[in-house]
Amino acid sequence: MENFIDLILDPLNGLFLKFKVFVPNFLAMLVILFIGILIALIIKRALMKFLTAISFDSWSDRMGFTKLMRKGDLWSKPTATLGTIIFWMLIIVTLMSGLNALQIPAIDQLVSQFFSYIPRIFSAAMILIVGYLLSGFISRAVLITAANSGFHYAKLLAKAVHTLLIVLILAMIMEQLQIAPSIVLAAFSIIFGGIVIALAIAFGVGGINAARRVIEKDVMPKREEETKDEIEHI
Amino acid sequence: MSDFFQTGIITTLHQLGKPSLERLESELHEFSKVRPIALVLPSLYSEFEGPAMPGIVQELAKVKYLNEIVLVLDKASEKEFQKVREFMSPISTEIKIVHNDGKRIREIYETFTRNGFNVGERGKGRSVWLAYGYVLARGRSDVIALHDCDIVTYSRELLARLCYPVVNPNLDYVFCKGYYSRISNKMNGRVTRLLVTPLVRSLQQLVGPHNFLAFLDSFRYPLAGEFCMTTDLARVNRIPWDWGLEVGSLAEVHRNYSPRRVCQVDIAANYDHKHQVLSADDASKGLMKMTVDICKSIFRTLASEGVIFSDGLFKSLLVSYLRHAEDTIMKYEADAAINGLKFDRHEEAMAVEAFTRAIGMATQVFMENPMTTPLIPNWNRVTSAIPDIFEMLQIAVDADNKQ
Repeated sequence: MENFIDLILDPLNGLFLKFKVFVPNFLAMLVILFIGILIALIIKRALMKFLTAISFDSWSDRMGFTKLMRKGDLWSKPTATLGTIIFWMLIIVTLMSGLNALQIPAIDQLVSQFFSYIPRIFSAAMILIVGYLLSGFISRAVLITAANSGFHYAKLLAKAVHTLLIVLILAMIMEQLQIAPSIVLAAFSIIFGGIVIALAIAFGVGGINAARRVIEKDVMPKREEETKDEIEHI
Repeated sequence: MSDFFQTGIITTLHQLGKPSLERLESELHEFSKVRPIALVLPSLYSEFEGPAMPGIVQELAKVKYLNEIVLVLDKASEKEFQKVREFMSPISTEIKIVHNDGKRIREIYETFTRNGFNVGERGKGRSVWLAYGYVLARGRSDVIALHDCDIVTYSRELLARLCYPVVNPNLDYVFCKGYYSRISNKMNGRVTRLLVTPLVRSLQQLVGPHNFLAFLDSFRYPLAGEFCMTTDLARVNRIPWDWGLEVGSLAEVHRNYSPRRVCQVDIAANYDHKHQVLSADDASKGLMKMTVDICKSIFRTLASEGVIFSDGLFKSLLVSYLRHAEDTIMKYEADAAINGLKFDRHEEAMAVEAFTRAIGMATQVFMENPMTTPLIPNWNRVTSAIPDIFEMLQIAVDADNKQ
């Protein structure tokens, strides 16, 4: 009978012991979450005030980030959007730290994977920002140069350059985030290679006459000069 | 039947005989292939509940030569915006509604503000300016026509005659203003008859010959809200957002183009729309507010062209205006008598007294700060500061219209 009671009590005892260990961890997680949310809110407010002070919204309007947001049907201010993004990133970090406090092996592994992934997210974000700025700058430069040279399809050319650069940036971001890297690399190579071949063929076929004229211009005057030369000597 | 006398330094296109609307429209249809036309309609939701809008929609449904219609809707909730979309559906021309109170357009206005652009308060001026921006952003039209949405006597002939001088490539006009008589059983249009014309003539008397005054005096109805112009002009013109919109727009046209390329056209035998109250005791609303704004706009334009205003000149102006206005009342009394129209001389004299007070207020405001008349920057300047604004505006309007 005693054995039987032990059989019942032992698991309960074990459960109680585990619960005794778990409760402080759980409380620690709640405290981390509370403090984390509080800090995230404070940082969000401070960041938004700072961004407003440096006229970040106006800068975004000029740099094209606001347009990017509007294309994605985001109609809040860039300051508010960035503030919200930073807030939720901090909440995710807080959540991960909180879960870490539970000291559950499976979650520990997930948390360490998450933290090792953060630098990749950061560098992807940097590639996106710098790449988008550069692509805008380059496409505008192409537009101005082509328009000033009297090129009829300047706007189309600028848009094509912009699209190509965006494709390149997206491929770089995907590669950085390690999202199906081999597929991305293959897809990018095929698309980019295809475009280059298409351009080469288009230029080659369309430019036969132009190329002939260029060659004739280069070659014919020489022949004339040679002939002239001969006549003069005679 | 109109006479054919050419007044002033701009061209006047009269309605002579009974020109065929079908011919006019078929020509417009051909011309619009080369110069596509956008119609801009600034409106309040309340106008859709009034008597004018059903007639306007019915008439516009028959118009085939328009490339696009841009309706700027003010003071409308989301539900009312949807109702307006439904209301406009009989028209086959592509219609885009700019919902001024929608979250996207509000954010567009916020974008202007944070980039240092004062686009003014809610009103026709600001709505029209935004509509120009949208037409320019789309880049599908070469000509913009505009009329109010409270015209009770609307017919599509008005639109055809308004568009024709600018759309016809053989006539080299960049700006065309409509004119008409405003008669019911009496003469309406007090601000034009008893304020603008006498004021302009008084100024001519005091300042001497002046190009802008001669230009303004050439218009038979300078306050008409119906005009048509090229998109190039819409891009470079700055417009006032207050009641000085019509006069201020004319000042900008005068500044940027030769009068040879400006015309006015008789667009309707009769015209009736929502009447404003005089509000003689309150200069912050009604015709008194309109008067103060118009006077400020005229003074500022003249000052910008080198006219020096002093206390003495303004004092003489008040007396001179009163004399001209009183003479004008007598002329109109005779005109009303021969045409069998009611004419309340006392009421007209009261209006002149109120206008004189309003001119006095405008002179005071102008002397305190000559820069008070607000002008919304032109689109060239806006796009220079915010290069993506056209795209953002287009995204906002298109998204509103897709929902």
